[in-house]
Amino acid sequence: MQGNGFKIGCIVAFLALTIYYLYPTVVWSLEQNYMEELSPSERAQYQEEEQQKLEDLRTRTLSLGLDLQGGMHVTLEVGVPQLIRELAGENADQLLNDVIDVAAERSLENDSDFINEMVAEFESRDPDARLSRYYRNDAMDITRRSSNEEIATFLKTQRQSALDRAIEIIRTRVDRYGVTEPSIVKQGNNRIVVELPGVEDKERVRSLLKGTARLEFRLAADAQEFRAFVNSVYEYYDNYSQSADTADTAAANQFNPLEEVLVPAQSPYLVGYATPDDTSRVMDLLTTEEVQRILPRSTTMMWSANPFQGQGGSELYQLIGVRTQIELTGDVIEAATVQFDPATNVPEVSMTMNSEGARKWGRITGANIGKPVAIVLDGFVFSYPNVQTKISNGRSSITGLDGVEEAEDLVNILLSGALPAPLEILEERTVGATLGAESIQAGLNSILFGLGVVAIFMIIYYRTGGGIADLALLLNIIFILGILAAFKATLTLPGIAGIVLTIGMAVDANVLIFDRIREEQRTGKTLKASIEAGYANAMSAIVDANVTTFFVAIILFSFGVGPIKGFAVTLMAGIVASLFSAIVITRVVVDYLTQAKKASVSFG
Amino acid sequence: MRWFETPNFDFNGARKMAYIFSAILFLVSVGAILTKGLQYGIDFKGGKEFVLDFENPVSVVDMRSDLSEPLGATPELKLFGSESEILIRTDNERPINEVQQIITSSMTELYPDNPFTVIKTDVVGPRFAEDLKSGALQAIIYAIVIIFIYILIRFRNWTFSAGAVAALIHDVVIVLGIFTLLADLVPFSLQVDQAIIAAFLTIVGYSLNDTVVVFDRIRENSNVHKGMDFMPMVNKSLNDTLSRTVITSITTLFVVTVLFIFGGEVLKGFSFALLIGIVLGTYSSLFVASSLVVELEARTKKS
Repeated sequence: MQGNGFKIGCIVAFLALTIYYLYPTVVWSLEQNYMEELSPSERAQYQEEEQQKLEDLRTRTLSLGLDLQGGMHVTLEVGVPQLIRELAGENADQLLNDVIDVAAERSLENDSDFINEMVAEFESRDPDARLSRYYRNDAMDITRRSSNEEIATFLKTQRQSALDRAIEIIRTRVDRYGVTEPSIVKQGNNRIVVELPGVEDKERVRSLLKGTARLEFRLAADAQEFRAFVNSVYEYYDNYSQSADTADTAAANQFNPLEEVLVPAQSPYLVGYATPDDTSRVMDLLTTEEVQRILPRSTTMMWSANPFQGQGGSELYQLIGVRTQIELTGDVIEAATVQFDPATNVPEVSMTMNSEGARKWGRITGANIGKPVAIVLDGFVFSYPNVQTKISNGRSSITGLDGVEEAEDLVNILLSGALPAPLEILEERTVGATLGAESIQAGLNSILFGLGVVAIFMIIYYRTGGGIADLALLLNIIFILGILAAFKATLTLPGIAGIVLTIGMAVDANVLIFDRIREEQRTGKTLKASIEAGYANAMSAIVDANVTTFFVAIILFSFGVGPIKGFAVTLMAGIVASLFSAIVITRVVVDYLTQAKKASVSFG
Repeated sequence: MRWFETPNFDFNGARKMAYIFSAILFLVSVGAILTKGLQYGIDFKGGKEFVLDFENPVSVVDMRSDLSEPLGATPELKLFGSESEILIRTDNERPINEVQQIITSSMTELYPDNPFTVIKTDVVGPRFAEDLKSGALQAIIYAIVIIFIYILIRFRNWTFSAGAVAALIHDVVIVLGIFTLLADLVPFSLQVDQAIIAAFLTIVGYSLNDTVVVFDRIRENSNVHKGMDFMPMVNKSLNDTLSRTVITSITTLFVVTVLFIFGGEVLKGFSFALLIGIVLGTYSSLFVASSLVVELEARTKKS
């Protein structure tokens, strides 16, 4: 029994730790069951009273992955090329734009770092030129004489801080949205993974995450100039269709592609109306090089953010001509609230500007009485009210919203600040709560059935030894859950699969030992000597077999994302737990049984 | 109960047969992969997937043709577990909300008496899919390299490393081949996605587990029976560990079969890969890995 005192100590300590870490999970699920039986009002009251305790339990409980509890998983990417372009500000020229475009494409192709590609491309075009001419920044110690290398480092820091800022902003927005236990983490140097348990309103989350909150105030396009442009575009497409389709039928000759998709408008600064399906086609037709050449440089076209009901109930978006010049940007906004138009009770977002903004706003409105000012958010026109009088108190409001929800989201987006660069959604996965619940049930069934089948088999095959291995197996599963809870890992469906698989493989160490004991017995050794030799000789095979599997799990963990990581974690926890239970626990039990002579031990 | 008490199978004698068997499986798999191509899932190909849960059973064939026109191309449709759950996969490039709008409005119109809910959506951009694919490939390559090195360090013999790694590649390629061949024949998804890569790496770990135990015994036996020829010794080691190999395979197969049957639709392909992988892994550690070590040892000795 020498040394077993220490082993028993280990087992007790390990068990105590496991119980400590799993206890909140058990209590939490009991609380959940209890609350389920309460009526909604009772439940609300209970949650109110026990808020602290519940919150404390919830944070310490073994958390379930989105695939098990339902929710939304989104991978976003910061538009680094746009960010770098904007950092250059007014210094950007055609050369820089070209370099950025080429580098963006190349970094995608070669899976390489965008900034490195950009520097390389810039230097290959003109070896003597310096990037510092675009990125001079006295505050950051970037002077005209800074080397390209220094600039690259500077840009990388900027990228890093843009990513951090984006994460902060998203966190604020998500918190305001009211998701419990959201997870927002950085991935690599330009990606953000957002996990929102329980969220199923994808549309809302998408606009919440992607909205850069670039708020701009622009004047509407010059009416006369713009009207002339619209007319010449129609004229252009009249001619275009005739020249392009000369070989075609007469009917095709009459076909003006723009008329097919765009309903002309009468208003001086409106190009026209289009259905949601046609907007991209309209933009294709209006952004050809020829058309852009006709368009006056001072003017840009933008879609309205929300549709209005056209005749016959169809939804129509407006295409509006606005000035290219931005009069005022959203950084002057100090506060934003949802308000309701007293006459119509329609929600709108009311904004207050700081003193400098208010002064400018007063000047702009004063000089443009009777003309429309467009309020543009993230490239879409929310409203373009006519200026009635000079506004000197710095107040303005966004109307034309799609309801209270949108107004509230907009306030959140405005208040959490502008994202440093646009975000693109690379990946999006949503699992409904019912499917999650079904998965949990399926996983639990698998664990129980698997455990049962293996346990029965082990007893039939190894008799007492099998029974001892079963005990170890049971403790093993509890240990795995304990390890997962201790490391704050998340249990996913593949994670459950990992546990099931561990059940099958966990007995391996015992199979190795027991088979070895049988072998030793065949050579004529006593039971005690066989057990001694069996454990000793099986050890190197057990270690090698488990170390290699552990390596594989580490690789899975480093390269896998999302649920695969969950699988890798359970696999690792499973290996550690099963080694402990198969070597230490079974040994103590076997020793106890053989030495106390209370029972005869048989290995089948 | 005792199986394989003192077995004396001539594994190495059967190795020629095993080579032929393995070679056929391997070549058929490579052929299938090359001609038919791997059936990538949404993770590695990009695209949009929706799972709809209807109140009553539906016909996949009808829906496929019904959705072809609104989506602009024939989508992939599969039953997802039950007769009333359906998985729709499309490459339509419109924004996700528009695509979902198209699908839900067409479905509501076509099946007004059979309400449904969208229980799962997945969207993976083509660029992200590329990243996931290269990540998965790297994982498999790193796993193989690290395993090679670990065995080299533990057994101080490159032929052991080579034998083990060859057996791993053998297993993974054949599972991939079986996936490719059966993709359209089975009623569940056998597309290669991230979960399958996890399954592959697990197979790699499992097959290695088996192989390492045998190698370990070879090492032990070569210390105990110094004068013995290498081949008979390998054979003896295989027989010595046979009982363990079979018992562990059986227990693992039990649970993986349970997982396959009860684990739910999401894990079907995953547990199927494990199922084949465990059978193959057991076979390859008995017939492929150590046989290759024997061949390589014989060759290095001669030269």
